[in-house]
Amino acid sequence: MIARWLLFLWIAAWTVIALLWAPLVPLLGATTRVLYFHIPSAWITVLALAWSMGHSLAYLRRRRIEHDDHAAAAAELGLVFCIAATITGSLWAKAMWGSYWNWDPRETSIFYLLLIYGAYLALRGSIDGEERRARLSAIYSAVAFVTVPFLMFIVPRLYFTLHPDPLINTHGKIEMDPRIRICFYAMLIGFTGLFAWMQSLRVRVTRLARRFEAAAAEPARRAV
Amino acid sequence: MPTRESSSAAVWAILRKECRSEWRTRYGLNAALLFAVTTLAAVSFAIGRLGDRSDVLAALLWMVILFAALASLSHAFVREVEGHTLTMLRLIASPTSIALGKLLFNLLFLGLIEVVTVPLFLVLMAAPAPRWAPFLATLAVGSTALAVTSTLVGALIAQSRGRGALFAGVSFPLLMPLLLAAVRATRAQWLGVSAAAELRLLAAYALALLAAGLLLYDHLWED
Repeated sequence: MIARWLLFLWIAAWTVIALLWAPLVPLLGATTRVLYFHIPSAWITVLALAWSMGHSLAYLRRRRIEHDDHAAAAAELGLVFCIAATITGSLWAKAMWGSYWNWDPRETSIFYLLLIYGAYLALRGSIDGEERRARLSAIYSAVAFVTVPFLMFIVPRLYFTLHPDPLINTHGKIEMDPRIRICFYAMLIGFTGLFAWMQSLRVRVTRLARRFEAAAAEPARRAV
Repeated sequence: MPTRESSSAAVWAILRKECRSEWRTRYGLNAALLFAVTTLAAVSFAIGRLGDRSDVLAALLWMVILFAALASLSHAFVREVEGHTLTMLRLIASPTSIALGKLLFNLLFLGLIEVVTVPLFLVLMAAPAPRWAPFLATLAVGSTALAVTSTLVGALIAQSRGRGALFAGVSFPLLMPLLLAAVRATRAQWLGVSAAAELRLLAAYALALLAAGLLLYDHLWED
């Protein structure tokens, strides 16, 4: 309860601080500010995918349904954050590059993540039976896990990127203005906390729904 | 658990059974060929001759192959589920041998479709003569990767409610790296540039997915 309010206050406070106190990057101008929302969303997208795939593999090994709950919840949340990252990125691209979408490598990889999440959730939705759904979607997740490095490798060969980390990050290390960096890390922590909280909420709801179903089925079973 | 010898015999037996049951009706092959030729005709009719744009040709060629594969390669597993023959099949062979047998069948099937579609594509689109060695190598390795991926997804999708409807959507994300690399390799051979890097990538992709499949096929059917 307290933690939830602290999380809310943390994100709200750092949003205000980031907008008022942190300076703008010269070339990016006012569009700098999107980074406090866009990069954390993209980070959660990747974190959620890793979390989901990790739990899928764990499910295949241990066959405990809790792993599947985690995999499914992380995929749902990952999709939400992925959409957020795509939209904020696309708006920024319109402002800076003049078009909402032009298959920049970053746009290609986020599109790929959208497809993976969409396909995984569509597949889940179409399989009957808890155990079978968990098993088959875990297999799909494991296969997707294998294809990710290939995409990471092929996409940069196809197009060169205009994505601005070269502007913020010229020599392979983070060279942000310290004030931007503080706000950015604070938002990253905030978003990670948000993800952790939503994830635990989603998993607990699934667990309760399962217990409720079992309880509802109990008298019927006894009657037979 | 079957020994290695008997499981390779099982793979061979499944492949023979697939070929025989397909040959009896030729329904799947006819449908797939018709579909591939329809896609090709639609592309060719809508665009006309494109001989001087080999970059576009490479993309269109793989579109036609991708569509033909997405329309037909889930068939091998869906047929077993719809004909209620999967349980019987599972009694006589391990999941891995069933999947490998079907993979070989899908590979053969895709090859047959390409034997018809690719020459027709080259003629209809007035494509410049390809450099045969890299062109055929790209087709072979790309089709192998395509068959490996779609056999795996086909096995999953056959057990879902959507079956055919979901197959394209669920396979596409996994096929995206493969499609990009195959188009790039085909383009490179038309431009007279080396396609070796893309070919290696395609081969690595096919091998990685085959290895993943071999590890995962055991989990396919447990209920």
